Order: sequence, then C-alpha cells, then structure tokens
Amino acid sequence: MAEPLLSVRSLEVRFRLDGRSMRAVDDVSFDLQKGQTLGIVGESGCGKSVTSLSIMRLLPSPPAQVAAGEVLLEGRDLLKLSEREMRKLRGGRIGMIFQEPMTSLNPVYTCGDQIIEGLRVHSGLSGKAARDRAIELLELVRLPSPEKRIDDYPHQLSGGQRQRVMIALALANDPAVLIADEPTTALDVTIQSQILDLMRDLQERTGTAIMLITHDLGVVAETCQQVVVMYAGSVIERGPVDKIFADPQHPYTIGLMAAVPRMDAGRARLASIPGSLPPPWQNIPGCRFASRCPLADNRCQAEMPRLREVTPGHDVACWKAPIEGAG
Amino acid sequence: MTTMDVRNAALVDQAPARRSWWKALLADRGAMLALLVLTLIVLAAVFAPLLAPFDPNANSRAVMQPPAWSERGNWQHILGTDGQGRDILSRILYGTRLTLLIALVAIGIGGVIGSGLGLLSSMYPRLDPWVMRLNDMMLSFPAILLGLAMVAVFGPGVWPIILALAVASIPDCARIARSIGIGVMSQEYIEAGRAVGLTDWTIFRKYLLRNSISSIMIFLSLRFGQVILIGAALSFLGLGARPPASELGMMAAQGRDFLLFAPHIVAVPSVAIFIIVLCANVTGDALRDVLDPRLKS
Repeated sequence: MAEPLLSVRSLEVRFRLDGRSMRAVDDVSFDLQKGQTLGIVGESGCGKSVTSLSIMRLLPSPPAQVAAGEVLLEGRDLLKLSEREMRKLRGGRIGMIFQEPMTSLNPVYTCGDQIIEGLRVHSGLSGKAARDRAIELLELVRLPSPEKRIDDYPHQLSGGQRQRVMIALALANDPAVLIADEPTTALDVTIQSQILDLMRDLQERTGTAIMLITHDLGVVAETCQQVVVMYAGSVIERGPVDKIFADPQHPYTIGLMAAVPRMDAGRARLASIPGSLPPPWQNIPGCRFASRCPLADNRCQAEMPRLREVTPGHDVACWKAPIEGAG
Repeated sequence: MTTMDVRNAALVDQAPARRSWWKALLADRGAMLALLVLTLIVLAAVFAPLLAPFDPNANSRAVMQPPAWSERGNWQHILGTDGQGRDILSRILYGTRLTLLIALVAIGIGGVIGSGLGLLSSMYPRLDPWVMRLNDMMLSFPAILLGLAMVAVFGPGVWPIILALAVASIPDCARIARSIGIGVMSQEYIEAGRAVGLTDWTIFRKYLLRNSISSIMIFLSLRFGQVILIGAALSFLGLGARPPASELGMMAAQGRDFLLFAPHIVAVPSVAIFIIVLCANVTGDALRDVLDPRLKS
C-alpha cells in the first residue's frame, strides 16, 4: 500500500489527576490513506476523542500528556513540531469538525467573519477576496443564499446550518485531513444524512481524507472504507469496513453489531453488552474486555492480547480469534 | 413585497435576541428612572462650572444657612451654606464631579487590571493558582486600610485615593472575571477556534474577552456604587481630596461638627451619595437582568 497520509503509531496518552496517572489511550495505531474515510468507533469514554485531540495537539496539558508514540502527517511527526508550526497545520492541513454545532461557533461574530479569520490566518486572504472565498465555501457546503447568510450570527442559523458553516470553516484552506468528531450526533436523523452526504460529496471533489469519529455504526457502514474499533483506550479491531461488518472477530465488536437496532427485528428487546467500561485508573493485566466477555477464560484475565492479523488487512486483539460463525 | 421579502422579514423578526434587551430595559420602569437620574447627575457634574450659582470655594458671611424650603432659608442659597458660608449647591455640583471622577478612574484601572488577570488565569490553568493566591492576599486587606497605606506613602490627595480604590477593586474583578472566563473557556467554540489555528492572543481577544465583556461590565457597574461609597468613606476620614476642593464624602465629614444645629450640611451630600449609589446599583442590576443569559430563563 502507498505511504499513508496520516499515520498514528503506538500513541499513548496519560492523564494525571489527583496524583494518579491514568492511561486514556494505550498503544493506538492506525493509518489514513489519501482520499479515504476512516471510522473510529467505540462507546463513550473509550478514547476516541482523546485520540483525535492529541492528533491536533489540542489536549489541555496538564493534565493530559502524550507519553509515547508518533503522529505522522505526510511523514512529519506532529508531536515534535513547535507550537507555532502546529498552529499553521491546524485549520491549514488538518481541519476539524466538532460534535456540538450549537456551541462550536463563536456567538459574537458572524459566520463570515469566522471563516474569513481562518482564511486570513492561513491563506493570507483579506478584504473582498476573502469574502468571496467565504461565500464560495458556504455555497460549497450548500448553505442556502450564502451571500446573505455570510452576515448572519450563529444564533440565526439552525443546527444543521451551523454544522455546514463548521464544515466550511474546516475546509476553508483545503486541508489534507479532516477530523470529524461525532459530526452528526447532535443533529436529527434527516439532517444527519444530509450532512453525511455532503461530507462524502466534498470528499469526492476535494480528495480530503476524513477521520470520522462516531459511535454510530450505521454512519460507519455508510461512509467509511476502514474501521478502527476502540475499547477502554486501545484498538481492539481494525480492518476494512466490509470485513468488520460481515465477519466481526472481537467479542466486543460482535456485541456492538448485535446491539444495533434492526428494522426487521420486530418487538424483541434490544441486545446489549452487560457491564460497563473498567475505570481508567484500574490496572488490568489481561484483556480489558474480559470482565464483560462471554468467552473470557483464565488466559484472558492474565495476559493482554495484542493486535494480530486474522485475515489480510483485518487485525484483532483477542486470544479467541478467529471466532467462527460470529456476527 | 415578494415571498422572499416576507421570509427575510420573518427571519429578521426572530433574529434580534440582541435588540430585545433594549426593549426589556425600556420596560423596566425603575431601571429607566435610575438611568435617567444617573444621566442627569453626570450631566450636572460635567457642566458644574456652568450650573453652579456661586464659586464653590468662596466664603461668605451667611454661614450655616439652611436650605430654601426651611423657615430661615432663602432662595439665594437653595441648599443652604456650610460652616464657612460656602454655597452647598455649588459644592455639591463640583463635589459630584470629583467623586464621579475618582470612582470612574478607580473602577477603570481596577477593572482593566482585575478582569485582565482573571481572564488570563481562566485561560491558562497553570497561571491560575498563582494569580488567585495573590488575589486572596489582596482580598484580605480592607479598602480603608489600603487607603491609609497609600496616604501614608503618598500623602493625602485625590490620586492616592484613586490608587487605593483601584487596588481594592482588583481582587473582586479578578474573581468575577475568572469565573466568567472559565465558563467561556469550557465552551466548544474555544476548542474550535484553536482547531482553526488561531493564536492565543486572537482567542483571548476575539473569543474570551468578547464573550465575557458584557457580564464583566455589569459587575463593574454594580461595583461602581461601592467604590463611590468607599471613596466617600475615605474622604470622610480625611484621607481623600484636600480642602478646599469639594468631594461628597469630605463635605459630609466637614458637616459633622455642626450636626446638631445645621444638620443639612451633612444631610445634603449624604443624600447625593445615596442617590448616586442607588441609581448605579439599580441600573447595574437591571443590566444584569436583561443581559445575563443565565438569569434570563
């Protein structure tokens, strides 16, 4: 395979709180190819957002600290850049979209002002040129009558419209990578699909690689080519989307798939995974999922499984893999 | 009107969450009255040289004349004269001028430094414990004590008082600004701003400051009344403006000796202080009610 655009290698992030140091992200590795969409899936608190924020180097430090690993963007290690160089990349080569469109725009400036600010910082555009480009961007994200909307304050727009503005803001300087942290979670279903369509369409046009963080497997199935499943701070399964969905190998992934509500399932109760995430300060020698896993045995309790390839391109961190006839 | 215009008009109608606070303020009768009186007082203070019927420092034989509406009063000195025969109305006009000036400059200096420190410490958690402990230290000195210290160092006068009041205002402003700032910093748009690659300076100016300034201004308007009171108290103790300049607190202090036979000498400046502080507080309260989104719902 070609040199990946963005490569995260054995990333470890620790939080130091009340004198305790806990691992929020442990040995996370994945690659993002040019023009591809990579989905990062997992339940709340599994380290998805911490991973994305540490790529952007936006974690508050202290308490957060990147303890090990590298984040390579086009071969450059972002973790070694100076703050000034990093600032140039943020909003330049890497764009980011946030979960809450209602609160992620600065309420005291117009949408146009915020996009123009981003253009001024990175592309050095100003005045009429910047304004024209901002209108062009709002048109690109299909905001109706952009030449009027550009002077609107965020509170004058709906949630879906604000998310479009956020996308315009993130795409303003033609980023190579777009990190979308649960971009559709706060939106209702019809707007969700519009936003996802828009992102897919923009990807085709601009060739931007997208790292999509979500807990919605439906969104992953629709938009991603590669999937990374995270649990309690580590990657437990990784592979192409069709393989993961057709033949999930980790008991957690299998449980996640079973928990997706189906249209044809009638009135049966929704399946769920018993138990909850282990607290991050707890030191677990074995597999972190063992306490909730129906297949766990002594070895799972004692020894941590590492990622290994079960079929080409499909890696699983489970002693029991390959699990036959699952999913 | 085309359909498009109608739609736009509808949009404009729901848009001004911004304009409606004016309406809310206009609807608040008490606040409007306070604002009106405050405006009149400020105008009177500004145009004191034109309005004052007498030279505020000119003595006359007519000492301790009571106000016009009492038995022995006359309309030449509407508010009567003080122990040295100076026209109280003129002195009140000039005194208000000085009092407002002291309070404004003090609150300006204290507000800028205090809220600057508070916002900085909300933005940089590393800085926070240091700024706040320093703040606690400053909080433990009462303003009167600070005033005494300043006077001991610089001698009595207007500037030591302004300095003392400004320093006394810093910790309160810093506390309030910090708590407002922490609220703003936890908003997602701060992170979003960083993700666009903005510098800390830009984040501070355009995100943090712009989003906290209205709440801070409200606090300052409330604090304004207190500063006038403390300033008057310091002048009353003889630490403030030097005679013969007139300052409301000092005027009250000078009337103290004649309290039994000419109570108006104390009463008139005290009432003036009372009205100014009351109006400032009512206006500040009303501003908070209409501007603070947290109190809106």
